[in-house]
Amino acid sequence: MGIRHNLGTKEYYLGHNWECQGIQTGDKLGWWGIFDNRNAVQNAMIEVEHLSKVYGSTTALQDVTFAAQPGEILGLLGPNGAGKTTTMRILAGYLPASKGTAHIAGFEVHEHPMAVRQRIGYLPEAPPLYPNMTVEGYLHFVGRLKGLSAGDRPSRVQWSIKQCNLQDVQQTLIHKLSKGFRQRVGIAQAIVHNPPAIILDEPTIGLDPRQIIDVRHLIKSLAVDKTVILSTHILTEVSMTCQRVAIINYGKVVATSTLADLKAQQTDLLTYELDVQGARDRVEQCLQPLDGVLTWRWLPAQTAERRKVRVTCNPDTPIGHQLSHSLVHTGIEVHEMRRLGTSLEEIYLDLTTQEVDTSANDKDAP
Amino acid sequence: MSLIFNNIVAIFRKELQGYFKSSLAYVIAGVFWLLACSLWVSEVQLWTAQKEAGQVVDVPQESLQSFLSGMWWLVMFIMPSLSMGLYADERRHRTLELLATSPITNWAVALGKLLAVWTLFITLMLPVCLLELLFLSYADPPITAGVFIVGHLGLFLLAAAILSLGLFISSLADSSILAIILTYALILILSLLFLLGERWGEPWVAIFDQLSLVKHYVTLTQGVLDISSIILFVSYIVLGLFLTAQSIDLLRFQRR
Repeated sequence: MGIRHNLGTKEYYLGHNWECQGIQTGDKLGWWGIFDNRNAVQNAMIEVEHLSKVYGSTTALQDVTFAAQPGEILGLLGPNGAGKTTTMRILAGYLPASKGTAHIAGFEVHEHPMAVRQRIGYLPEAPPLYPNMTVEGYLHFVGRLKGLSAGDRPSRVQWSIKQCNLQDVQQTLIHKLSKGFRQRVGIAQAIVHNPPAIILDEPTIGLDPRQIIDVRHLIKSLAVDKTVILSTHILTEVSMTCQRVAIINYGKVVATSTLADLKAQQTDLLTYELDVQGARDRVEQCLQPLDGVLTWRWLPAQTAERRKVRVTCNPDTPIGHQLSHSLVHTGIEVHEMRRLGTSLEEIYLDLTTQEVDTSANDKDAP
Repeated sequence: MSLIFNNIVAIFRKELQGYFKSSLAYVIAGVFWLLACSLWVSEVQLWTAQKEAGQVVDVPQESLQSFLSGMWWLVMFIMPSLSMGLYADERRHRTLELLATSPITNWAVALGKLLAVWTLFITLMLPVCLLELLFLSYADPPITAGVFIVGHLGLFLLAAAILSLGLFISSLADSSILAIILTYALILILSLLFLLGERWGEPWVAIFDQLSLVKHYVTLTQGVLDISSIILFVSYIVLGLFLTAQSIDLLRFQRR
């Protein structure tokens, strides 16, 4: 029961029947292994439990829970103002939480702030740079602040300069650098002291496409032995970089899952959207006898003749071809037919626009 | 413990290097040297002229004392311009988030900054002290080393107290200009507290006299090593640091 409880509260909030797969048998089943919370409690590099933050009368975070393992890149995804930055600031020890706990490498951020600060690299939304310092001088300064010894510092600084591709500008004053370079200096300061946990708030914002790709590579290379949490409101960012995602909206985590599972979970029911021209009842006559069609819903008509319908089907009996065949044979013109629920974009929009429903499901989840 | 020391040194070095890289510090140094040296020369000339006119004056003693009184005004006007950017710049560049998420306490940051700007002031004073010593080495009657040392100790403590309070004001303001104006206002009020005491009568006279920067500074410039004066200056320094650490801590609760 203990495991069941842990699983329910720590990892899964999707209001979904996940627990049936792993818990009832009690074994680690394939990919379930990584979500076994007995491991998570002991091994999680970053562990956030029931975190809430209230500013005056505004609730910025509400009961946020997630965990990230060593070697994992976790994306915090959500629209602007969802609470991503607040979460990261609490993790970095910059803001105290109103309720809940956050552990980094086993240290609670409120109880052992200094131990936590030594073990994290943090890139805030605006890179904290001193414009009158050179890149190298700045990284040496940060290294000293983070407690790097005089012996290790030069090699660590050179390592981070190399990682972030800053060799050409290491003697340049920071105020002369372009935005892309500044962002990279910001990342360099987050990794200069070799922290096991790295927290990056919107690391690719303001970069050009080439630089974005470089930064993604950099983040992936860091995650070999470190835990990276990054926040973004850009979906591609998550799908390109992260192994797991926590979707956050209105201060609540509405889903935490691997990307593949998130997709799989959302596509449990197969939905086709059809753009058809023809009488409504004739279309319905076509749909009715088809095996596997569960239900359909008409979207507001654009013109008198042409309208869209969403048909939900059983995924076990793929009926796409039957559907189109039957419609065309009845003489209905099909302008478009597409499968919904496969793009991450739709999942994201779905999750971030139905936050009330999802949170209700969360509470019911065991 | 060594981590705290290393952190203070890191902040100290960064701030000091920042001053040497900024044109503002050189302009301030130029103005300071010009005014301080001409003040010293004019005081010596003034008292020498009085002696030559037949008055009985101890020229070295009187010159030193009037010079240090004049330095009061100079320090009061120059120090806030050095302290104004200490935190205002950090706020402007949003680097406080870096300091607040590094293993360093607010105290250590404030102390490192104060030590750096105080060191800059001492550096500014070194050539001026050399000039004084050059004149005083020919003084007749010779001046006692104690008077010279205690007087300058008073000056350095006064500067540190003003810088410490300036540091606090700087932590409150986003803009350097606002910081400098507020610092002037605070220092003026603290200096002229004794006037308020005289107006209100007892027991305010005694209380405000004890709190006033001017009265205690004057005691030290006369060569009197008064422990209570030193305690007062040190208290202002510690108060400034304490308030700075608190105000930086409070900043984190602001929603930005």
